[in-house]
Amino acid sequence: MRVIEIEHMYKSFRIPHEKRNTLFESMTGVFKPPSYETFNALNDINFSVEEGEAIGIIGENGSGKSTLLKIIAHILNPTDGNVKINKKVTPFLELGVGFHPEMTAVENIKTYGTIMGMSKRNLKSRTDDILEFAGLEKFRDAKLKNFSSGMQVRLAFSTAIQTDPEILLMDEVLAVGDMEFQRKCLDVLNNYRKEGVTIVFVSHDLSSVRRFCDRTLLLHKGEQVAIGETGDVIDKYVYSGGEISPDVNEIEKDSSQTDDDSNESVRWGNKKVEITGVKFYDKFGNGSTRFNSFDSMKIRILYKSHQKILDPVFGIALYSENGEYLFGTNTELKKLFINYVEGEGYIDLDVDRIPMLMGKFLLTVAIHAHDQKPYDWHDKQYSFDVIPSGRDAGLFEIPCQWNYDNMVTRARD
Amino acid sequence: MIVDHLKSLYGYRELIWQLAWSEFKLRYKNSVLGYFWSLLEPLLMLTVLYVVFSNLMRVQVEYFQLFLLLGIILWNFVTRATTIGTIAIIGKADMIKKVYFPRDIFVISACLTALIMSFFEAIIFILFMLAYRVPISINLLYAPILLIFLFVLSLGLSLILSALNVFFRDVQFIWQVILQAGFFVTPIIYTIDIFPADLQKIVLLNPVARMIISARDSIIYSLPVSTNDMAFMLATSFIFLVVGYIVFFRLEPKFGEEI
Repeated sequence: MRVIEIEHMYKSFRIPHEKRNTLFESMTGVFKPPSYETFNALNDINFSVEEGEAIGIIGENGSGKSTLLKIIAHILNPTDGNVKINKKVTPFLELGVGFHPEMTAVENIKTYGTIMGMSKRNLKSRTDDILEFAGLEKFRDAKLKNFSSGMQVRLAFSTAIQTDPEILLMDEVLAVGDMEFQRKCLDVLNNYRKEGVTIVFVSHDLSSVRRFCDRTLLLHKGEQVAIGETGDVIDKYVYSGGEISPDVNEIEKDSSQTDDDSNESVRWGNKKVEITGVKFYDKFGNGSTRFNSFDSMKIRILYKSHQKILDPVFGIALYSENGEYLFGTNTELKKLFINYVEGEGYIDLDVDRIPMLMGKFLLTVAIHAHDQKPYDWHDKQYSFDVIPSGRDAGLFEIPCQWNYDNMVTRARD
Repeated sequence: MIVDHLKSLYGYRELIWQLAWSEFKLRYKNSVLGYFWSLLEPLLMLTVLYVVFSNLMRVQVEYFQLFLLLGIILWNFVTRATTIGTIAIIGKADMIKKVYFPRDIFVISACLTALIMSFFEAIIFILFMLAYRVPISINLLYAPILLIFLFVLSLGLSLILSALNVFFRDVQFIWQVILQAGFFVTPIIYTIDIFPADLQKIVLLNPVARMIISARDSIIYSLPVSTNDMAFMLATSFIFLVVGYIVFFRLEPKFGEEI
């Protein structure tokens, strides 16, 4: 059964240049036509969600994700098009809606729970559970204004998860909070999924989207760019090259910088061969500076040789964002002997599998002679980002697996 | 459509009540006497008015204390319901931006909050009735019907005011002035007889005036309410409700953005 159907949906906001909030301003402004700009927040959105499906919505800031979520939640109305919601929607757009600082914990649970659609009887029997889960049993009759913000969030969260949603709308606001809280959120999300609740999940955290969502919708400046298998859509987002990704011009910027920059500390060598540019290519062969971890990538070094150089060595060095030296290699170490270079050309370094888990990485690229004398050395002049696709923590993946042998734990005879 | 809406309102009855009740409770938070104020307030007000009117102005009305008290209670209800009602939407901006349920719920529970407050005042009134040994008759049965009319009328007004107030914040101030004026052109502290006959007709166009007079007749003076008056009150409260809902639903889709 389709629970959410959206067809040719448009949403635009009028942004008045001066807001008329009082009757007087409206009356005196009658002869001045109101000046406003129309901002198209969403353009021609089409998709549907099946019951029990988990769908992710991704896109950079300002792409219309939250607006779309609010339209599904019925908080905003579309300017044009059809939106059909066939089940009860429970929005988790913000925790603790309706909380009042003057009320006690128990009173707030009651109000918030009722707002979230829980019945009185249900709430009564669960109040103790909620307080226990939040770790606030001792504070049941304390006023909310005396709670720390962490306690308030815990109380709100414990109450919210007691609801029995049919369609759950989750905004990225839940991503704030400490590790423990985020883990709890994801656990709850997981449980809802198992129970067959339809979930619409908006997040910047691509690894949680990858983990939870069957399908994903990619928005860019209000346009629906893609919808489909989560993995494909995330690839599209990450590897969209110049089109969608926010930090588009990084390669060009960096390389042009080095071209002009004769600063000794970042570039040195006798320039008999010059590095004219470095490009990163994703697994589809498109230029990009963002990569999913574990995907393949290609680093292309473009050079221009002013004379015939015999036996040059091309090398790279990889650094973490803090400048820690992580890895280095060159053509000599890999036993690739280049007889000579002349004129313009390029050399590729193929990385089969990016082992870094996440973060920004800096790259040094160099051409030098056999005796280490540099022709052209660009120190940490290039960078790219790695976006997590798994749950392992740290900087690098070490290929490994756990083995558990029952025989070992057998009780001693 | 109306039936569907009523059904969905019925589904939200616990929420309506919860919102109304917590609003009521909030009024007396941080006060030493708490709920007791809801009894004390009308009593003190009555004392002031009674001293002023019976000694200084020498009004000759049977059961004048009860006459005053009932008028004030009913007028207070209209004032509170529409005052809380006017800010029912803008005062709940955080909820309106984050969750959806039918927006008229906020207005209904605002009127309900006023009703809860009036309920406590009614207790004082009943005690006075007993103390003065006011005879009661079958005509008392008009009272609940009159109260329903008054509630419906206030709800209709609140719907219009709350919706307009989202777009023009002036509404809340203008309404306070109108209420102030209304207090004096409605026979609350005097009887309608002080007006000449043709002016009386104009005063009686105000449905609240008619409701207060009829309520006094049926509750204090054991008089029936004329069919004419009943028809007028039924019609006006119904018209206010319908107009209220038309205005409210016309403006409602923009609440989320405008607020």
